[in-house]
Parts: sequence; structure tokens; C-alpha cells
Amino acid sequence: MSTIQFDAATRQFPGSARPAVDGLNLDIADGEFLVLVGPSGCGKSTSLRMLAGLEEVDEGAIRIGDREVTHLPPKERDIAMVFQNYALYPHMSVADNMGFALKIAGMSKDEIRTRVKEAAAILDLGEFLDRKPKALSGGQRQRVAMGRAIVRNPQAFLMDEPLSNLDAKLRVQTRTQIAALQRRLGTTTVYVTHDQVEAMTMGDRVAVLKDGLLQQVGTPRDLYDRPDNVFVGGFIGSPAMNLVRVVLTTDGAQLGERPVPMKRGVRAALATEGAEDATLGFRPESVEVVAPGQGFPFEVVVVEELGSDSFAYGNLVGHGQEDGTTLLTVRVDARRPPAKGEVIHLRIREGEEHVFSRRTGQRLSAD
Amino acid sequence: MHYRKHRLLVPFLAPALILYGVFVLWPYTQALYVAFTGWRGMSPNKPFVGLANFRKLAADDVFWNALGHNALMLLGLPVTVLSIALVLAALTLQGIRAGGSAYRVVFFFPQVMSAVVIGVLWNFVFHPNIGLLNGALGSLGLGGLKRTWLGDPGLVLWAIFAVAVWAGVGFFVVYFVAGMQSIPGDLYEAARLDGANPWQAFWGITLPLLRDHLQVALIFVGLGALDLFVLVQVMAEGGGPSRAADVVARYMVDVAFGQSQFGYATAIGVVLLVLSLTLSFAMFRLTRRERLEF
Repeated sequence: MSTIQFDAATRQFPGSARPAVDGLNLDIADGEFLVLVGPSGCGKSTSLRMLAGLEEVDEGAIRIGDREVTHLPPKERDIAMVFQNYALYPHMSVADNMGFALKIAGMSKDEIRTRVKEAAAILDLGEFLDRKPKALSGGQRQRVAMGRAIVRNPQAFLMDEPLSNLDAKLRVQTRTQIAALQRRLGTTTVYVTHDQVEAMTMGDRVAVLKDGLLQQVGTPRDLYDRPDNVFVGGFIGSPAMNLVRVVLTTDGAQLGERPVPMKRGVRAALATEGAEDATLGFRPESVEVVAPGQGFPFEVVVVEELGSDSFAYGNLVGHGQEDGTTLLTVRVDARRPPAKGEVIHLRIREGEEHVFSRRTGQRLSAD
Repeated sequence: MHYRKHRLLVPFLAPALILYGVFVLWPYTQALYVAFTGWRGMSPNKPFVGLANFRKLAADDVFWNALGHNALMLLGLPVTVLSIALVLAALTLQGIRAGGSAYRVVFFFPQVMSAVVIGVLWNFVFHPNIGLLNGALGSLGLGGLKRTWLGDPGLVLWAIFAVAVWAGVGFFVVYFVAGMQSIPGDLYEAARLDGANPWQAFWGITLPLLRDHLQVALIFVGLGALDLFVLVQVMAEGGGPSRAADVVARYMVDVAFGQSQFGYATAIGVVLLVLSLTLSFAMFRLTRRERLEF
């Protein structure tokens, strides 16, 4: 178990215009479960492979514990990786797959057997030890890949989208199992996914990447409540945050037919920028239905009832949206959802609005 | 549906099946009969002699001498050719990245040359006076190692062996490279993380996953070792000095076309066929295991 540090680590693929990972700074605590999340091509997998030693580091450094590992080969880093396709050795039994690293390390057969059995017991794989990977289900293969990692008792686990080949139901189940297993073993874990729900539910902290650049790192709550920029705001959360362009007024902004007040600090920041408009963000659950005249009118187009929640999708009345096809989403009373075509009146709860600069995309905060 | 599918299959399959039947199966069937006759090849008359040809064969020293050479080749060729091909294939894929594919093309050259041309070419290389080999040995100051390679009963078989290796390796390099490229790359990444060095990855991953390719290659080289007619015919006419490089196929051709004993020659051919079939069957059985999936 160990800390992990990315120190301005950069990877520039030959022939590519911009770095795949650009000056990544990240400190991961001992025993922490850190999730790297972002859209495809954001550099999350490359970052993980740089940590694994499968990808070169062009600039900067990577440390595991006190050791600088930047240019060490994978086997000297004492880490285990779970691959997206599991990369199980097809010609070896489950037990041999799990014991391969120990065999290479020159461990005695008895000890290998003991450790493989222990790991198999943890993962409920005991009865499959003699089987070949092809005789296992997807979920079982995934567990063998996990077992291959934990049997080595490494400094860190690296996981590259390990759930993406499972069906939806199993994915949710396995997600919980992996998180629980990591808490139990206390091994530092770096987990890559493109699924923000996985990121939010599994990670102690989540690092959001886009175009090779780290956007924000923080606890899931942090990212949700205080996104640093428009990208993080829109990426984290499901359904996504509503992002609307608003024209500034003297004491706030105009949203539809209603003025939305803004805090003095935010107004000051916008004034310094010389901005005439801003991006207003609010989460679907940050609005409440109010009487006509007290909030902005919202025309409902579609209602989705999920049982515990209902979401209404629709347009702001009297607010020219840049992108006419994107509907706004608001959470409404699950017991009494509005009808399609109905106009309801909404108000953003105080303090739950997010204001971003149109120019930089950065969050503007009151303090 | 099934009926219509068959109707479509017949016109596509028929030409191949008819040609195979007429030019392969029918001659084989005829040969099986001719082997029990004393046919001389000229007259339509094929006197039935029962097992006489096979009895004669069992006591024929020339045949046993040739078969012994085939056996030596069978022991040596597959191991040598396939080991060299494996190493070169692994090297072109991993070791020498720059120009790896150029090497693959060069290795393949002997495959596009006719075996006769290869034999003639190497006759020049082995020539005692003007040959490249002795010339090179001389200029390296190793003149003491000069030999009459194809004239020395102790060397001629191994000279031909070396040429057979040279001619055979290239094809299997390309074949193994194709096999190695079908192994998913993340298995090697997993192996690297598991601490395996390239050598351990080769033994632990590449070799076991190439098993199907190795099996096919073994049978090909094995059958090749039972033949070798062309190289021996070109490089060691009449089986070489003291028949030291004679092989069964060359003896069979000699018996048939040199001595006009077609019945006897066909009996030799039948024995060779039985040996080949036994070899293929044995190799398939010995190396058969469950199929692997990636």
C-alpha cells in the first residue's frame, strides 16, 4: 500500500498535435480509491497506463510511495492491473491465471496454492479454480481478473474500465463489490471509467479529465455541489445540469421572463471580465414549483416517471436558447407530475445556482 | 430451404470434386492395385504377383538405406526448421522493430523459388573449387575446414539438410508471425505487469497460444522430410556418393523410370503413402487438445 503521485506527467504521442495527457498533477493518498473519469479520448486510460509503465512518460514524474517509477518497467513498480477485456491467459486454468505472477516471482508451489485459494475464497471463485477462462461467464471472468490482482498483494490496483463488458444489472452489482473489496483490503486504487455514475458511487475522490487536462479533482460531493467549470458541471450528475445562457442585468440576470438575482461577488467578477452574459447552471432537483408570477414559466414537453422521481423536460418560455433541440430538465413531484404541454412556474432554490463565465467556462463564486 | 441451398452448392463443388477424383483418388486406387503386380510400364499387361513386391522391399538394402536417411531428416528437420522460424518470427515482431516486415519478405524469398533452382544454386555454393562456401572459409583463414561438401559421404546428407532448412524456414516465419499477431496484445501487457520478461512471456504465452500453428507446421515439415526428392535429385544424383544421401522418393523414381520396374516402384510409393498417413495421424493425435479462444 502506498501513495501515488503524478507530478506534471505528460504524454505526447508521436505525430499527435496535442499531448494525450498534459501536465497531470495528482496526489493519491495511501489506501484511497481514486477514479479517473472523462469522455473518450480525454487521456484517462493513458494516465493509468503511464502509471502502470505500459506507456512512456515524456515529461514530469510519477512516484509510487517514495520511489520515483517514471522510467521503471512495469514489473518493478509492484502494481497490479485489471484490464477492460480482463486479458486472462486463455490456455491457463483460473488457478494458474491467478498464480502466474507468483510463479514468475519464484514463489513455492505450496505458497502459491495457499494464496490463490485465499483470493479465490474472497471472490467466491473456489469451485472454478480448475476451469479455463472460456468456460466462465463474463462476471466470473471479471472476478478472476480481480483475483489475479489481489493475489499479488501489490502497492496499488489499477483498473481500466473493468465493468464495461458486463451487462447493466451485473455492472451495478459488481460496482458495489469492487468498492467494498477495496475498502476491506485498503489497497490504493486508481480506477478509470467513462461512466460518471460509476465514478460518483465508487470513488473516495474523483478526477475529471478532458482533452488531456485535469479539470477538477475532489470528493463526489464537491464535484456535484461546486463544479469548477462548465464541463465538470455538465459531465457530473444524471440527469445532467441545465446550462443556460443568460443576459446580465444590473442586479443579476434575466432568465425567461424573470430576473434571477446574483450574489454581489459573482456580479463583481463578471463586471471585471466586462461580460454581458453568463452561463447559468442549475441541477434538475434545484428548482421548486411556485405560483404563477413568482417564477419563470416552463413549458413541459415530455415527462419521465421513474417511480421515485419524475423528470419534466421542456423549454423556458420567452427565453431564446442557442440550441433549440436541448430541453431543460427539472425534477417534479413524483406523485403529481405536470401534464405534457402544461406551463409550470419554477424558481431556483437560493444558493443552488451555478454561474460560469462564458469566456473561460470557469465557475464564478461569490466569495 | 435446405434443398435449395444444396442445389446452389453442387455446381460450385462439382468441378473441384471431379478433378480431385480423376487426378488424385483414381490414380491412388490404381496404384494400390499396381503395387501387387509386376508391371514394367510399357505393356498394358500387368501380371498379378501378390505380395512379392513387398517381400522384395523388406529385403532391399537400398530401400532401407534410403528410409534411414528419411528417418534422420524426420528427426532433425521439424525441430530445426520450426525452432529457427519461431525465433526469427519473434525477433521480427519484437526485437527488430525497424524493418521487421522487410526481414519477413527476405525470409520468404526461398519460398517463391522453385526447389530445382534452390538445388542448383546451392550446388554452386558447395562447389569444392569455385564454391562460395569454400571460398569464404579460405578468405577467413579457415582453409583447413574446406571440404568437398557434396562429394563426401559423411557430409552430403547434412549439406542437403542445411539447404532444406534454409528453404523451409521462411515460410514458417511468415506463418508464425501471422499466428503471433493474432494473440491479443493485452495478454503481453498483463504478463509484463505480472513480472514476466520477454523470454518468460514467449514460453508462458506465445508458445502455448501458437499450439495450433505449431501442429500444422510440424505435419508440413514432417511430410517434407519424407519427400526431399528434388533436392537430393539435383544435389546428389543417384543418391550421392555411396548412396549416402539417398531418400525413398528418389529411389522410387529411379526404380520406376530408371529400371522400368513400375510394379515394384508403386509398392515403394504405397509404403511411403502409408508412412505419411501414419505420421500425420500420429501428430494430430499426439498434439490434440481442446481448442483455445481468445
